[in-house]
Amino acid sequence: MSRKLDLSRRAMLGGTAAVAGGLAFGDLAHAQTKSGQLTVGVAAALMTLDPADANDTLSQSAARLMLEGLLTFDKNMQVVPLLAEKYEANAQATEFTFHLRQGIKFQDGTPFDAEAVKINFERIANPANHLKRLSLLAMLDHVDVVDQYTARCVLKFPFGAFIPTVAHPSLQLLSPAALKKWGKQIGRHPVGTGPFVFESWQPDTLKVKKNPDYWQKGMPHLETVTLRSDPEDGARIALLRSGEAQLITPIPPQQAVVIEHDPKLALINDPSIVVRYIAMNVMKKPFNDPRVRQALNHAVDKQLFAKVVYNGFADPLLSAEPPHITFYEQQQAYDYNPEKAKQLLAAAGYAKGFDSVMWGFNNTVAITAMQFLQQQFAMVGVKLKVEPLEGGVMASRIWNVKKPDESHLEMYYGGWSSSTGDADWALRPLFATASFPPSLYNVGYYSSKAVDAALKSGLETADPAKRGAAYATAQKQIWDDAAWVFLGVERILDARDKNLEDAYRLPDGGLMIDAAKYA
Amino acid sequence: MSETTASNRALADTALRSPLGEFWRRFRTKRVAIGAGIVLVLIVLTSVLAPWTAPYNPTTPDYQAILAGPSWAHWFGTDAYGRDILSRVIWGGRISLWVGFVSVALGGVAGVVLGLISGYAGGWVDSVIMRFSDVLLAFPGILLAIGIVAVLGPGVTNVIYAVAVFSVPVFARLVRGSTLALKQSVYVQASRSIGVRGMALVLRHIFPGTLPGVIVYMSLRVGTAILTAAALSFIGLGAQPPSPEWGAMLADGRSYLGVDDQLTLFPGLAIFVTVLALNLLGDGLRDALDQRLR
Repeated sequence: MSRKLDLSRRAMLGGTAAVAGGLAFGDLAHAQTKSGQLTVGVAAALMTLDPADANDTLSQSAARLMLEGLLTFDKNMQVVPLLAEKYEANAQATEFTFHLRQGIKFQDGTPFDAEAVKINFERIANPANHLKRLSLLAMLDHVDVVDQYTARCVLKFPFGAFIPTVAHPSLQLLSPAALKKWGKQIGRHPVGTGPFVFESWQPDTLKVKKNPDYWQKGMPHLETVTLRSDPEDGARIALLRSGEAQLITPIPPQQAVVIEHDPKLALINDPSIVVRYIAMNVMKKPFNDPRVRQALNHAVDKQLFAKVVYNGFADPLLSAEPPHITFYEQQQAYDYNPEKAKQLLAAAGYAKGFDSVMWGFNNTVAITAMQFLQQQFAMVGVKLKVEPLEGGVMASRIWNVKKPDESHLEMYYGGWSSSTGDADWALRPLFATASFPPSLYNVGYYSSKAVDAALKSGLETADPAKRGAAYATAQKQIWDDAAWVFLGVERILDARDKNLEDAYRLPDGGLMIDAAKYA
Repeated sequence: MSETTASNRALADTALRSPLGEFWRRFRTKRVAIGAGIVLVLIVLTSVLAPWTAPYNPTTPDYQAILAGPSWAHWFGTDAYGRDILSRVIWGGRISLWVGFVSVALGGVAGVVLGLISGYAGGWVDSVIMRFSDVLLAFPGILLAIGIVAVLGPGVTNVIYAVAVFSVPVFARLVRGSTLALKQSVYVQASRSIGVRGMALVLRHIFPGTLPGVIVYMSLRVGTAILTAAALSFIGLGAQPPSPEWGAMLADGRSYLGVDDQLTLFPGLAIFVTVLALNLLGDGLRDALDQRLR
């Protein structure tokens, strides 16, 4: 009580400025920690709280506070059951049956059952609803309600990656009653089975409070969670250091040292599945020659790439997919060897090198990376012009191109994160012949019969051994063809109050704070 | 009688001083402005002679010396690629100063011409030119420049055009104002009465009278232009990597704030000192040239 009085007196004296302000913040932060409040500083505004209509990981993470799916991911991106107790698939990978947990209610009292699964999944799969995540369930024909607690998903064609798809946060379930009540407005009125209940959402602040009837007894530990959007890196760090936020995500790699030196804070440094690469237009000279592509792989010092661009916070990329994706197979590294690169270029008829243009996004990290690559390629005679592009321009120049010969792309500095955690979505959209733009994202027009066949057979079964063999073949072929210049895998970099526990991000960048607590 | 002689002599003395001499007599007492001028000359010389004054190549990386603080080898330290920041600031000065001077010169010339026409011709010509200026002035300068660069595409040349365009209306207004005043002045009326007309009247008699204001404003405007160009580069619309333009250097170093401050401190100081010098010089010039202050 006396502390409170003291605080308000300080507040009234206001003018005594920074020092008093800092003290007041410190006390407040302490009070929040005690009462189980958590404020998370995030980098972007939330788009919607309907995860099926969200393209961004952050909006899906926000929905995850209130909603749950049949399956989810553990910290290592492995599929684990949540609202479903177990599941099984038929041999052709066309039917997947889920046995649901019993006795769970949505936050509005609606019982959770197979009918709810049917309503949710068929809502996403119905093209008439125009939900952004339609593509995730494009293979779904319908859902059979076998009995009250058994739902069977029947697919139009074999899709061996269906299980990780169901674990994707976009397929978290909303209350059928709420869906009926709010219709298209559901994105502002989410009702799920999750540990927190929706309270309010202003443009830059989402507030949720503890769900007292949550089915996992003893959970959650926190009373309230607030997500605060602040796009400026420095501002988020200030939020954390002043105690206004207890977790901020992400932090730029250059600032990691600031967090490490603060005794009250801790750095979160975890592996991610965000790969960084250069895609080359293999339909164009000189990139149609695999020796040129191999040469460029030998021309980049990947360790230095990690050091210069990510301040050391990046891992090597030793296959077309990163280690935390299913069926990962490590390949033989293209060692840094400018001499070998020059020889390969000479063998391909480019002894004097060549000129090229690289496109990439216009954010600081991408520009830093492209400048670095410009320097590295210059050492083997490849003169690079770097063009940072704004998102809309990029989309029209590379993803919305109608035919391969209409693409002016030469090199593209890109990134990819397979949000299902599965090899299929890590490889097929980027390397299959059927994935040429505008349908998917194979912007370099890489095409290989062997890879196409392997990717197809990987989907035709749900048997992990057979799928593993298929994706091993695909990864080896893509690597040997040097379809990309393989650069690195980003790391998840966040910062938290030292007392905050069990709040983290998955390798795909999704926030997991449902089990968070204070020490 | 003797009194008349004395005053005649005084008159003769004044008449003997050339306009330049008159200007120098007034300007030389402005010590701050002279100091600023010297600093500016040093900056310009260092930048223009960059191939000789810069200790390193501004774009060659040295991965053995990444993010080094200031030292004898690298006075201003090095950036994320191990490039020497002092050398980059010196070479960047070329770009920033070039953009500043050229864009203001372009905008100034266009503005002066429009202002003279507007003020001298009057009538509907005046209305059209001034309404057009009003439209341009209604946009905040930086917004207009962003719009222009968005249309033309990023790059230093387009930044010059953008900054030039938003300098035009200000010069046009300034010159129109003095033209209107000068048109009514006795010496212009006198020229008119002996038959001087049109171009000759404008160029020989009115234009020189507008110059002091234009010169003062130009010196102030170059500072604004350098700031605008740096701002455009900072948001990625101006100079492209690996160009060491000052604004682009600030953008590069932004994420290192609080950790490796040399990346932003030195280009920031360069902008600060240059613009301050230009403004102080401009103030001194105004004191020396502005008739209203006499």
